Amino acid sequence: MTAPPSGGDAPGPPPDPPGDMAAWHRLHPLSPLVRTGRHLTGLGILVLLLIFANHNGTGGDVIGDVAVVGVVLVAGVISWLVTRWQVAGGVLRIDTGLIRRDSRRFPLSQVQAIDVVQTGLARVLGLAELRLRMAGGDASGGRLACLPLAQAEQLRERLLAMARAPGTAAATAAGAAGAVPASGPGVAAPPAAPERPLFRVRSDRLAGAIILSRSGAYAAVVIAVAVLIIGLTGKPAVIVPFLPFGFGIVLALWRQFNGEFGTAVATAPDGLRLRSGLVQTTAETIRPGRVQAVRLVEPLLWRAFGWCRLEVDVAGARQRRENRSEGQRLRALIPVGSRADAEQMLAELMRAAPRPVRPAPGPARWKAPLTYHFLGWDGDDRYLVSSRGRVCRKTTWVPLEKVQSIRWVQGPVQRRLRLASVRVDVAGRRVTASIQDRDAAEAQQILARLPDLARAARTARSAGTAGTAGTAGTAGTAGTAGTAGTGPAANRG
Amino acid sequence: MTADEAGLAARPDDAGIQWQRPSRLLLRARRIQVGLVTVPVALAGGLIAGLAGSAALGLGLGLGLVVAGAAWERFLARRVAAWGYAERRDDLMVRRGVLIRRQSVIPYGRMQFIDVTAGPVERSLGLATVRMHTAAAASDARIPGLAQADAAKLRDQLAVLGEAQAAGL
Repeated sequence: MTAPPSGGDAPGPPPDPPGDMAAWHRLHPLSPLVRTGRHLTGLGILVLLLIFANHNGTGGDVIGDVAVVGVVLVAGVISWLVTRWQVAGGVLRIDTGLIRRDSRRFPLSQVQAIDVVQTGLARVLGLAELRLRMAGGDASGGRLACLPLAQAEQLRERLLAMARAPGTAAATAAGAAGAVPASGPGVAAPPAAPERPLFRVRSDRLAGAIILSRSGAYAAVVIAVAVLIIGLTGKPAVIVPFLPFGFGIVLALWRQFNGEFGTAVATAPDGLRLRSGLVQTTAETIRPGRVQAVRLVEPLLWRAFGWCRLEVDVAGARQRRENRSEGQRLRALIPVGSRADAEQMLAELMRAAPRPVRPAPGPARWKAPLTYHFLGWDGDDRYLVSSRGRVCRKTTWVPLEKVQSIRWVQGPVQRRLRLASVRVDVAGRRVTASIQDRDAAEAQQILARLPDLARAARTARSAGTAGTAGTAGTAGTAGTAGTAGTGPAANRG
Repeated sequence: MTADEAGLAARPDDAGIQWQRPSRLLLRARRIQVGLVTVPVALAGGLIAGLAGSAALGLGLGLGLVVAGAAWERFLARRVAAWGYAERRDDLMVRRGVLIRRQSVIPYGRMQFIDVTAGPVERSLGLATVRMHTAAAASDARIPGLAQADAAKLRDQLAVLGEAQAAGL
């Protein structure tokens, strides 16, 4: 997979990639090993613990474990044998399954993001996993595990390039604008689109921030209690039954550190590029205009240092089976950074982002005494921002073009105080911009005006004039501009 | 803030919105549901208390449960009356709730799919519930107690409108 052959002869309107991608491919032969690696380490730890626990050596257990590992490996090899993939006509196709055949097609124009993930073992072997994120839920994404790292990176570049070009060509029936750049050999892997680094997390600050976070506080409490118990009883063995809890907490801290270590964000024409990870590294690309919401989190202890965390929400779950809780978390562009870092990133994500400058009305003090000081909102014709939180201030920005539904809510206490809240939902993991506890008349006005503003923003986006919420990528806007001719006309028609 | 129906005074007022209401049968459906829960619970509670304690205790508990059911029924009547929906030019508006009042706006272009469901009680009265789903997990607009023909019509109508205005994510 070095220089792709020049046989990029596109026969039809859906431009085919160079010949080496249209053919069927297999994954790397070592992938079964990597895929079972997780089980291997788990079982290895278990075996060690068992041996450690009873020195008498009940050999049966070990043999049983080895047998399990063997079965898993054989299953992995079979799965490798029957799995193959192909890219043709702007669609990635993955066929797999021995008994129950499973053939999945991923239209590249629908891709929300593409990740390159390297687990620890895969890194040792120079392999990587490619994950496609579609807008649907858990099981809707595609994964290619594993490919050689260079091939995975290259494939990602190409898939993203194709996602831009033929996707718009398919969207516009005319397709004149879209098909021309796509059918040219330009699709044949721009080796590395120029990227501009935006942010890199400082490792010492990340470690400090995790210790000062909520999970860090839990860990501190647990350790303090354990030390106290040992100190009082004088017998370390007392805490042994509680070790699994401690282990779990430490593991959670480690996962966060491992996942967010060395987070680097760069902007490129094909979207925002994120890289992170210590043992398991992840590289993902968020396509322009796929960001559903941006959230700034400022916990109490971090504020003392002027730190904050900036997260984005993208539709579609990240596939992380090994880590369920990860699915609930948003992707951190800035795991921890100074206010200046956050401001810079915000400016990059949104031109002239509004600030939650309108404080809540006085009566809200009675309804929400603990959150009152952080309540606020504002909005312009492109973005809406709201902030809330008791000790941890959370500010959420939502691009109006992404608004899915708007809800007006008034509880009994609010009714008495003549207050109401407006919630704005976007696709993604339950991020809701909540304009909390506004004056009833103001809430009414928001509810009356917001649908129209959101519709105007949507129309503006399909007309290609408004910048997208991803990056100010020139190619991205050029790509959407291809739909300009038909988009709004179809909307009105 | 123009004058409005008495029941809507505290709601966001949208001049010119024609609220459509669920069928009158919805109240009956809810009453049947309450009855189906209250009567067995009152009977069982009364019997158990009557057998374990005295007959008077059983009678008292049974009557108490019936009264609770009746109070619940009064509340239900207000809740049923609070439901309403309006088809506007570009979006659907749904309002509900008595204690916690809610009003949702769902643009037609954002609807991913529309469900029509009917439980056994609703089915026996010829009613159905229309449920709108968007890509956001939090938006949960539904309209209960529509006549089945109306529900099917609304679903088709919404689907057509959704298709015409469909917007990507």
